[in-house]
Amino acid sequence: MKSSWQPTLLAFLLTVAGCATTAKHQVVLTGDIMADAPNAIANGPPRDRVLWEYRLAAAAMRRGQFDLAKRNLDDALLTLGGIYGKDADAKKARGYFHVEARKTFIGEPYERSMAYVYRGILYWMDGEPDNARACFRSAEFEDGDAENHEYAGDWVLPEYLDGLATTKLHGDGSDAFKRAQAIAKGVTLPPYLPNANALFFIEFGPGPTKFATGHYGEELRFRTAPSPVTSAELKVDALQIPIAPTDDVSFQATTRGGRVMDHILGNKAVFKSTTDTIGNVALIGGLTTAAMSRDRTTQEVGLGIALAGLVSKVVSGATTPAADTRSWDNLPRYLSFVSLPLPLGQHVATIQFHDSAGQVLPNLTKTITINITTTDRDKVVFVSDTSLTPQTL
Amino acid sequence: MKLFLAKISTPICGAALAVLVAGCASSGVKNPSGVSVTHMNADEQGFVAGTGVESQDLVMVADKMSRSILAIPQIASAPTPPTIVLNPVDNQTRFPINKDIFLTRIRAQLNSKAMGKVMFLARNQMQALEQERNLKRQGAVTASADPGVQEFKGADYFLTGSLQGLSTRTTKGTSDYILYDFHLIDARSSVIVWEDSAEIKKQGLEDAAYR
Repeated sequence: MKSSWQPTLLAFLLTVAGCATTAKHQVVLTGDIMADAPNAIANGPPRDRVLWEYRLAAAAMRRGQFDLAKRNLDDALLTLGGIYGKDADAKKARGYFHVEARKTFIGEPYERSMAYVYRGILYWMDGEPDNARACFRSAEFEDGDAENHEYAGDWVLPEYLDGLATTKLHGDGSDAFKRAQAIAKGVTLPPYLPNANALFFIEFGPGPTKFATGHYGEELRFRTAPSPVTSAELKVDALQIPIAPTDDVSFQATTRGGRVMDHILGNKAVFKSTTDTIGNVALIGGLTTAAMSRDRTTQEVGLGIALAGLVSKVVSGATTPAADTRSWDNLPRYLSFVSLPLPLGQHVATIQFHDSAGQVLPNLTKTITINITTTDRDKVVFVSDTSLTPQTL
Repeated sequence: MKLFLAKISTPICGAALAVLVAGCASSGVKNPSGVSVTHMNADEQGFVAGTGVESQDLVMVADKMSRSILAIPQIASAPTPPTIVLNPVDNQTRFPINKDIFLTRIRAQLNSKAMGKVMFLARNQMQALEQERNLKRQGAVTASADPGVQEFKGADYFLTGSLQGLSTRTTKGTSDYILYDFHLIDARSSVIVWEDSAEIKKQGLEDAAYR
């Protein structure tokens, strides 16, 4: 009988070559988010699209490019709103042989909440406080399913702004204020000023990023660099207003608790470890049996066991429990807010950022010229410690 | 030994082939090549759906409201067609929406089905209309009637509404209930002469990979 293994092996190798992943959606990054993000969105893997839209939106807001931020957040939030039901990539991400990062990125709850917070700020800028309020409610909602219920829905600023928007829309915002105050724990929130027409949203400090631990990188963890900025001060006209953090994004990231996906990754890690162990035992045992025996049948059995062990090792090698560490890595650490009444006309606002000793970090000071031309809508000012300066709004 | 290898090579290679094909082919992926654009009716739910406000909700709500408005005596039995101004809808849900779209559709339905029983005032165009009238008054453009006469109509009624929501999120899924409420307010007396509502509840659960 002619041997059949050569053509079989040839077919095998051809198939492997055919199935080899060709380089698709490769994007070369320059380090400039304003160039990299549009490139990645247009040419990168679709599963990373939302991530790049988030990053671009945050960068655009700090440059005063609010229309660009809006477009990207709207597209990202469309994807976020449609994640219900069957998702082939998500299903594969749960499988043994695909990484979690195969799924479409929509972010962990703190990232989704921040997308809504930013979009809410932009709606308010456009004179739509009710749509802004909707976004703040969604921001709180995204945090509504924490493993530890103590930390569910515990963002302060979205709750506070929910009530402020309601007050400005001639409704009763007291319930939202009470919820915000209860969450704030020990910090006295300023009462709502219905006539405050200038709203300042301030953010500072570097936000959390993700990394993986565990034998196979199956455990998702968060790290946050120490913030050089711990407070700020707003000066406008004759007013000097100290600004303390209202929300800590790192706190939100680390207190959400375990994910369902963490359990799945844990199971994958156990499977990987088990099949690896079985493979080792079978390989060693089978080869030893085959080598030590002079009986042909025993030798064949030993080789069969060794081959099964090899298959188990291959399966173990193909199992991928690694956690998805894709991060919205240009988020801020701290969020804060000031509202005050300003008359019509031009005003120059200076925002200074302080370190933990209360010293001004002069290289971070921002100057914004604010033109208040109408009493029909609030003037919304967004300032980050990484914003471009000066700006005119 | 050669015979043994020959015996097992085919099944082993076949099995490995099957594993590799299963691992790298797009089998099991629905619509790997995408789906061409297809026309749908606005009142149909597409295959892309969330728990918020969607076109089929808008169509159902607007249709219900327009039929309801036409039945009230203030509209049906008015000696002259009453004039209505649209006031912005108040969105109290957690979904940012294009609020104008509801009133736009209700107005379109009423204009097409009311046979002139109601008239809507284009208050959002007042700036352009006043500019045109001023040009006529200045003689810069022609006028078919005396531009000095006040002809802009006042509103008999205001049509407005609100969207209110209740949302729940647990490990079992997300649930969103929205109450669409619309009312017609007498501009002279502030009496609500008509009100109707529709309510829609949706729920969904995302893949475990996102929880």
